[in-house]
Amino acid sequence: MTQEFFLEVQNLKKYFVAGNPSLFSRVVKHVHAVDDVSLELERGEVIALVGESGCGKSTLALTLMGLEKSTDGKIIFEGIDITHADDKAQKLLRQRIQMVFQDPYESLNPTQTIEEIVGEPLVVHKIGVTADERRARVVQALEDAGLKPADIYMRRYPHELSGGQRQRVVIAGALVLEPHLLLADEPVSMLDVSIRAEILNLLADLRISRQISIIFITHDLGTVGYFADRVAVMYLGRIVEIGKMRDVLENPQHPYTRALLSVIPVPNPRLRRERVILQGETPNPIDLPRGCRFHPRCPIATEECQLTDPPYIEISPKHQAACLKTQKVS
Amino acid sequence: MKRQQYLIRKISWAFFTIIFVLILNFFLFRILPGDPARSGIHDPRLKKEAVEAIRVRYGLDKPVINCIAKINPVEFGGCLINPMDTQFFIYVGNLLKGEMGISYHTNRPVSEILVERIWNTILLIGAGQILAIIFGVIFGIFAAWKARTTIDYVALLSSLLAWSLPTFWLGIILLFWGSNHGLPIGGKATPGMSSMPWEDQWIDIFRHMLLPTLTYTIVFMGEYMLIMRSSLLDVLSEDYILTAKAKGLSTFQILKDHALKNAMLPLVTIIAINLGFTVAGALQIETVFSWPGLGYTIFESVNRRDFPVLQGTFLLIAVSVILANLIVDLTYSYLDPRVQAES
Amino acid sequence: MEAKIVEPKAPTTSSLFLDFWKTFSSNRVAVVGLVMLIVIILVAIFAEQLARYDITTSADITSKDIYQPPSEEHWFGTDDAGKDVYSNFVFGARVSLTVGFFAAFISIFVGGLMGIVAGFYGGRVENFLMRLTDIMLVIPDLPLLIVIVAMTRPSLMNIIFVIGLLGWTTTSRIVRSQTLAVKSRKFVLRARAIGAGNMHIIRHHILPLVLPLLVVNAILVISLAILNESTLAFLGLSDPTRLSWGQMLNFAFGRGAMSAGAWWALVVPGLGIVWVVLALTLLGHGLEQVLNPRLEFHHLMPGRPVVQREAGNVHSFAEEIHPVLLEVQDLSIHYVTEDQPPARAVENVSFTLHEGELLGLVGESGCGKTTLMLGLLRLLPAAGQIVGGQVDFMGKDITAMSEQELLDVRWNGISIIFQGAMNALNPVRTVGDQIKEAIVKHVALLPGDKVDERVVELLDLVGIAADHKDHYPHQYSGGMRQRAMIAMALACNPQVVIADEPTTALDVMIQAQILELLDELRKKLGLSIIFVTHDLGVVAEMCDSVLVMYGGVMAEYSDVDTIYNSAQHPYTQELLKAFPDLSKPEKRLASIPGYPPRLDNLPTGCRFAPRCPRAIERCHTEVPDLHILDKNHVASCHLVEA
Repeated sequence: MTQEFFLEVQNLKKYFVAGNPSLFSRVVKHVHAVDDVSLELERGEVIALVGESGCGKSTLALTLMGLEKSTDGKIIFEGIDITHADDKAQKLLRQRIQMVFQDPYESLNPTQTIEEIVGEPLVVHKIGVTADERRARVVQALEDAGLKPADIYMRRYPHELSGGQRQRVVIAGALVLEPHLLLADEPVSMLDVSIRAEILNLLADLRISRQISIIFITHDLGTVGYFADRVAVMYLGRIVEIGKMRDVLENPQHPYTRALLSVIPVPNPRLRRERVILQGETPNPIDLPRGCRFHPRCPIATEECQLTDPPYIEISPKHQAACLKTQKVS
Repeated sequence: MKRQQYLIRKISWAFFTIIFVLILNFFLFRILPGDPARSGIHDPRLKKEAVEAIRVRYGLDKPVINCIAKINPVEFGGCLINPMDTQFFIYVGNLLKGEMGISYHTNRPVSEILVERIWNTILLIGAGQILAIIFGVIFGIFAAWKARTTIDYVALLSSLLAWSLPTFWLGIILLFWGSNHGLPIGGKATPGMSSMPWEDQWIDIFRHMLLPTLTYTIVFMGEYMLIMRSSLLDVLSEDYILTAKAKGLSTFQILKDHALKNAMLPLVTIIAINLGFTVAGALQIETVFSWPGLGYTIFESVNRRDFPVLQGTFLLIAVSVILANLIVDLTYSYLDPRVQAES
Repeated sequence: MEAKIVEPKAPTTSSLFLDFWKTFSSNRVAVVGLVMLIVIILVAIFAEQLARYDITTSADITSKDIYQPPSEEHWFGTDDAGKDVYSNFVFGARVSLTVGFFAAFISIFVGGLMGIVAGFYGGRVENFLMRLTDIMLVIPDLPLLIVIVAMTRPSLMNIIFVIGLLGWTTTSRIVRSQTLAVKSRKFVLRARAIGAGNMHIIRHHILPLVLPLLVVNAILVISLAILNESTLAFLGLSDPTRLSWGQMLNFAFGRGAMSAGAWWALVVPGLGIVWVVLALTLLGHGLEQVLNPRLEFHHLMPGRPVVQREAGNVHSFAEEIHPVLLEVQDLSIHYVTEDQPPARAVENVSFTLHEGELLGLVGESGCGKTTLMLGLLRLLPAAGQIVGGQVDFMGKDITAMSEQELLDVRWNGISIIFQGAMNALNPVRTVGDQIKEAIVKHVALLPGDKVDERVVELLDLVGIAADHKDHYPHQYSGGMRQRAMIAMALACNPQVVIADEPTTALDVMIQAQILELLDELRKKLGLSIIFVTHDLGVVAEMCDSVLVMYGGVMAEYSDVDTIYNSAQHPYTQELLKAFPDLSKPEKRLASIPGYPPRLDNLPTGCRFAPRCPRAIERCHTEVPDLHILDKNHVASCHLVEA
């Protein structure tokens, strides 16, 4: 591999031990939260990670951040293997990779002022020699996150701000260390529809102005339709389809992607679509089905699918799907 | 199967705690100074043979337990001796046989004394707790239902007041008032009653029980009312109450079929946690009213430095509370279907 | 376009402590407790100044002075040694309080430390510490206290230590569970994500949030310590030379105060104990209310009476083809609290529901849609009040119904599927039982086995296997619970079903299943449904007509095609622009700057005007009427006036 990617994830696995194994159980069961995920990201690229609950997208983010230790596989960031980084290296890494969380009401400590919250990363990493220097950086971050003039927000507490403003504070807190990679875990799903676009546009602008790469985790494909470069669809811990946004939306190859896209409601009453509604619920990630993990719910599964775990088949450049029925586009 | 696991865990934990109490009880009385049997030994006027005789009599010539010959001060000894010949295991062995030593004061076997007295305590606690629960629950329901009205505030304040009264002091005040109005000033029965027909005996006991039980009920009713009220308030704010209302159920139906069972659960837990206070309350009341129960026994034995009785009573009380806790725990698991889901 | 500068919500106090103090001082119970506590602490501090006699000497005391009743010389009479009870009392305050506070301090320190270490570090350490706590909790403490104190020298130091070292159990448990709770909160995860170490997290995140609970617990511990000290002293186990209140009672009781009729010697010291403990209890109770405010009202509180008012400007969408089931006319609902202006949650809302129609009620947070739905069945919380309008259901006005008539129409005529079914079902009763309850209530005289049959039938209708009827809600998955709610809602064959955000918390595939189910059921059973949601995609797919609400009023109301393709109200238009459309993924989403208005502090004029991109002068001063644009289309906006 001659080309150096900004972020490269190779066969990453994260398993959790299931339940409380008693002294008498010999077999330890695992929750296969992330089960062999590979991904490459370039500088300034935005990739959307889409999936339903239990697909492992949040665990993947936590593992990339180093908040969870991976069970297997490699993570290479800016050319350095960070999979088994020690505490000191981890701390330095925090300045380069930051996370934005889902719940603006819970991500902020109600007993801290906005200035304290946004300034906390600086304190932790001992950046900025004087209080004034730190303050200036906090102001910069707040304004970059759209909270202008920053002064009126500095001494406020989270409960005094609206949901949208709080999410901006969370983003400011992530920006203050000037990271290169942002992991946004459902950053707008708890906000009102009319406010979501503000935050999304903010992220889109930041990508351009600061050259930040973003991994955008969501269950709602619609929100990133226009600013993600690529999209990866996850199911039961594996990426089942990945490709450029247009390609995946217009020509989905994996039956799960197709089903998902067909049921996402579209605000157009005149559009009547064929909806593929899968039956049942996502099985638990402890006892994975044999062969293709999707076959129990797949509308086009055949016997073959019950035996073979499908490899990635390339449909077009950068567009792959893990399905035996995929047609390769010549 | 999950419930079985739960039950096994709880029972083994209770067992383990009882062992702990046993050990604590034993070593407590060996460590702390004050036991005349041992302090008496240091009396310089005693002859050596007399000292030795006392030591043998109380089994103090044997090592405390393997590796440790004496505790106060610590003196190490042989580790490979027969454990059955150490003070600790002799003690445990005796306990299993039902022997808890002989009272210094009356020379009667401790177990005999305790068997007599435990029923009196159970009578008192039983009556008091039942009344406290009944009234506490009723008032608590009422207060929660009528929350934020005058009735509620009055009930709330009286409960807070009842909780703030020291049990023994309430007993004193009631006793003072009662004795000026013809009620007996203490004990369980008037002397000479045992020759009367048993209906008269029971009336006599009832008259003696009146004030202690009243004291007990007032103190605990306050707390149960507070718990029931706050628990019911929480339950009545839950979504499923709104669902029940939307279904067209009347207020009474909702209280009966949805709210009460859920609200009672925390009360069951509190009763378990309260068992310690229950004992403390009984102890104080029995002392004030000279009611011959286990609590009074502790008081008596402390004053008379009668350590075998003290040690035996403490052990009995502690084990009873542990077992009672276990029973409440097990009962709770049957009441709350969510308990089985915990692993 | 440059984003508008938007002020934070409202000017408030600049400090958390001041915030707290404001709430605290309005809680009468807490204030009384605090005052009582301060008074007695002052008494203890200034005992020398307050005492009238020197309690250390027995000079000038004769046997005549024993147990003298209260008088001018001795305000509280004299005790068994002829000494002034009042003077003993004020010094006793000092002893009792000192022992209580110091012992409590030890307990709180030990318990707090244990709790934080156990909660934060977890694992074996936590296991060990908590097992220890559990054991100590089970062992009854007064007997143990008595045993230990009895066997050591009776000194105050001893008592302080023993009470202190046995009193940490409740603190340890509470601090641990609070530490665990805080540890799992997102802002702690965020702190880790920025690289904070354990000490930083404990100091900046755990401690500030554990402290309030610790304070409340501390108050309890102090009162218990004082009670314990009094009890020990009363039982004769304390230092007889240091007269605490308990010790005074010990002497009085043991030395014939009762037979001498000297009630003052028994009452006064006891009152001292009661005063302190009551003060602490009130303070603790009040503090707990301030720090953990419980919801002000519960569901069974009596509601407010309906205010009958003539329905004003109403436009009815009556169709000949399908009969009208539900007609809401000019409905207004306020939330009324004392000494505050009412929150005008819903104002002048009118709509019509026909047989078989699926009406979508769309709006964002704070628009009043849930209040409106609850109002239809008069299920409003205690502060809610219908202040005008009518709700005509099958010819009768629900707002004028008696309590009994309401119980009949609920569920039988109109039922509700609530959002987030987790708590909408009673967790300690089986699902089947709860469905049965609805049937039994409304369908008269059905024999038991027929009812069970019906329950199974209903579950089957929504795709749940029969044996699940004896399971509890926590044994169902999220999607299944919602289906069970639907089954229950259909139990009595209602004409109208209100679905309040039934799929909001569910995955998109499960949502699709539920929506498909609802659509099927609607066609099969001839139901009319009011579907409350913020999801414009769902509305487009499912609904026949749409009512858009903003800030408690109707913004626009029409059939679904008109709303999506020729919306007239600026809010509807902006909302559509803000909603993503997968069929046009490159469309850049618009947003509406600002946030919804506070319902108790509404702007004059149109409620949307502050955020409206097309607002004119008039919009800020005059409330727009509901303009009829077409047979089936109304919008409340000045700009649509012909």
